Amino acid sequence: MTGRPEPAISVRSVTKIYRRYGRRAHGTLKSAFLSRRGREAPDGVTALSDVSFDVASGETLGVVGSNGSGKSTLLKLLAGIVRPTRGSLAVSGKLAALLELGAGFHPEISGRENVEITGLLLGLTRRQIAERLPDIVRFAGVEEFLDAPVKTYSSGMAVRLGFAIAAHSDPDVLLVDEVLAVGDEAFSHRALEKFSEFERAGKTLVFVSHDLPLVAERCRRALWLDRGRLAADGPAAETVALYRERVAQEEGGRRLAQPGRGTRIGSGKAAIRSVRLLDAAGQPAARLRAGQPAALEMTLDAPKPLSDFVLGFRIATVSGAVVLATNTRLEGFEPGSLSGEACATLSFPSLDLAPGVYSLDAAVHAKDGAPYDERHDVLRFEVTSERAGSGVWAPERRWNFSGGIRWSG
Amino acid sequence: MRPETSSFLAPVRRALSNRALVRALVRRELTARYRGGALGFLWSLVNPLLLLLVYATVFRFVFAPRADVRPYALFLFGGVLVWNFVAASLNDAVETFRANGPLLRKTTVAPEVFPAASVGARLAHLILALPVLAAAIAYAAAKGSARPGPALLEFPLVLALLALTVFGGALAVSALSVHFGDVRDIVANLLTLAFFVTPVLYPAEAVPERFRRLLLANPFAPFFNGVHDTLFAFRPVSAADWAAMIAWTAVSLVVGGALFEKLRDSLAEEA
Repeated sequence: MTGRPEPAISVRSVTKIYRRYGRRAHGTLKSAFLSRRGREAPDGVTALSDVSFDVASGETLGVVGSNGSGKSTLLKLLAGIVRPTRGSLAVSGKLAALLELGAGFHPEISGRENVEITGLLLGLTRRQIAERLPDIVRFAGVEEFLDAPVKTYSSGMAVRLGFAIAAHSDPDVLLVDEVLAVGDEAFSHRALEKFSEFERAGKTLVFVSHDLPLVAERCRRALWLDRGRLAADGPAAETVALYRERVAQEEGGRRLAQPGRGTRIGSGKAAIRSVRLLDAAGQPAARLRAGQPAALEMTLDAPKPLSDFVLGFRIATVSGAVVLATNTRLEGFEPGSLSGEACATLSFPSLDLAPGVYSLDAAVHAKDGAPYDERHDVLRFEVTSERAGSGVWAPERRWNFSGGIRWSG
Repeated sequence: MRPETSSFLAPVRRALSNRALVRALVRRELTARYRGGALGFLWSLVNPLLLLLVYATVFRFVFAPRADVRPYALFLFGGVLVWNFVAASLNDAVETFRANGPLLRKTTVAPEVFPAASVGARLAHLILALPVLAAAIAYAAAKGSARPGPALLEFPLVLALLALTVFGGALAVSALSVHFGDVRDIVANLLTLAFFVTPVLYPAEAVPERFRRLLLANPFAPFFNGVHDTLFAFRPVSAADWAAMIAWTAVSLVVGGALFEKLRDSLAEEA
C-alpha cells in the first residue's frame, strides 16, 4: 500500500483516549480559560492505540472487530468528528459519513426540509439539493410523504431517506457504519447496489460491519481491530478468517473451561457425562475445517438399566437457526437396554457447514420425549473455510460454463 | 475537513462560510415552532402585542408612569422586545449542543452553526415583532405623544452590533455549558440580574450620578441607550455610545471566539 503516490486516507500512529465519564477536559472554569490546548493525554479509556494504515483511492476497505474494539471511533476520527489524542490522519477529497442514518432529522419539520438541512451538512449547495431531490425521494421511496413531518415516518422510511441523501451527495470517500443492519431486505439490496456503483466510479469506501460474509465478499481488503489495536490488515477473506478463529477460540475456551454452562434439564434417570467434538484425527477440537471429517461424541451414565431411551444431537447457528437435528429414534434405532456407562458417536465423513460459529445440544430422553438429561448449548465450535459463502451449507461444489461466457480473473 | 486554524476569528469565519446551513437551521427552528398551530407565524405577533397591552394598561391605571419618559409603555416595549432577544438567544445557546447532540456526534458539521442559529432564530422572532412596534410608534405619533425622526434609521445598525455581541456571548456560553453543567443556571441568573442593572426599564439618566459610571462596565448598557435613543427619543445615538458598542462587540467576539476555539475539539465528545 505504501508504493502508491496519493492515498485517499492516511492514518499514522493514531491513538484516541476518551476521558472517563464524569471527568471533564477542564475541571474548573479557570483551566478552560488558561490551560494550554487540551491535547495532553488524559487518563482515560483507550479506544484506539497506535493504529496506522493507508487506503488507496478507489479501494473498498472492510473493518471488523467485536463491540468496543474501536471501529466506530476509527470512523469518527476519519470523519473529523473527534480528534486523535496522538498521531495524525488525513483524508483527501470530499467525505460523507453514514454513521447513523437520519441522525439529526428534526421530527417536527417535513422530509423536504430535513433533506435540505442534511444535504447542507454533507456539503451540498441548495441548488444541488434541489436538483437531486427527485432522485433522493425516489431512491428512498417516500414520494407521498415528502411534505409530511418526519415524526409521521416509519423508522424504515427515515433510514432510507437518510441513506438516500448521503448516497446522492457525491462523496469521494464514503464511511459506512453498520447501516445495512437497520433496513429490510429490499433496502439492503438497493444500498449494496449503490455501493457497487461507488466502487465502479472509483470512490473510496470504508465499511464497518458485523456481517462477516458480506465483508469477505464485498471488500478486497479488511482491517481487524481488537481492543483498539490493529490485529490484522490484509485480504478481506484472510482477515475475516483470522477474526473468526479468535472469536471461536475465545468462545470455545470459555465453553470448554466451563462445561455445562448452557441450560440442562431432565429427570437424571440417565446422565450425559461429556460431549465432545472430534476432528479428522479423532482429537477433541473447537475449530474444524469445512469439508473435513468430524464426529460428535457423548458419554452417558445410567445408574439403573433403562429400556426406553433416545439419544439426539442438534446443531444450530448462534443466532438460533437449526442446521441439523437428529436422534436415534428418527434414524430407526429401537432401544434395547442402556445401563452403566456408554458412549455414542455420530460421525460425518465430510462436515459441509459454511464458515461460522455453531452451537451444539445433546440429549437423552424417553420415546415420548420426557427428558432424562438435555443439555443445551453444551459446546460451541467454529467452522473455517477458504471459500467465502454465506448460509449454512457449504458442500463440495464446482461451476461449469459453456457458450458465450468468459471470466477475466 | 476542518481547517487547522485556531484564531479567535475562526468560529466567526466558519459560521459565515456555513451561512446556508445556519439559515436552514433558523428556518427549521421557526417552522418547527409554528407548525400545527392554526395561527402559525401570527403567534410571534401575539406575544409582543399582549406585552404592549399589559404595559399600556398597567402603567396607566396601576403604577404611576415615570414622568421623564412618556409614553412609558412605548419606552418599555422597545426595550423589553430587544432584551427578550438577548436573553432568549443566550438561554437557547446554552442548550443548543445538548439539543443537537446527534448532529454533532454523527455528522461532520461545523459546531459554530448551532450558536449562530440560536441567535439567528431569536433575531428572526424580533424582526417579526417589529411591525407591532412600528404600529405602536405610529399610534403614539398620531396621538401627538411621539415625534418619530430619522434617528429611527440608526436602529438596524444598533441591532446588528448587538446581534454580533450576543453571538460572541452565545459562542462562549454554548461551549462552556458542554463542559460545565452549572453554566445554564449561571447564565439564567446573570441574565435576570442584568435585566435590572441595564437601562431597559429606565433611561440611563435615571441612574443616580454616583452609580452612573458603573454602567460603563455593563456591556449591554450602550446598546439599550441606543435602542431607547432610536426607538423612543428619536435622537441620534451619541458618539460615546457608538464607541462603547463597537468596543463591546469586539471584546465579545474575541473572547467568545477564542474560548470556543479552545473547547471546540472536545464538543463532539462531551455534548
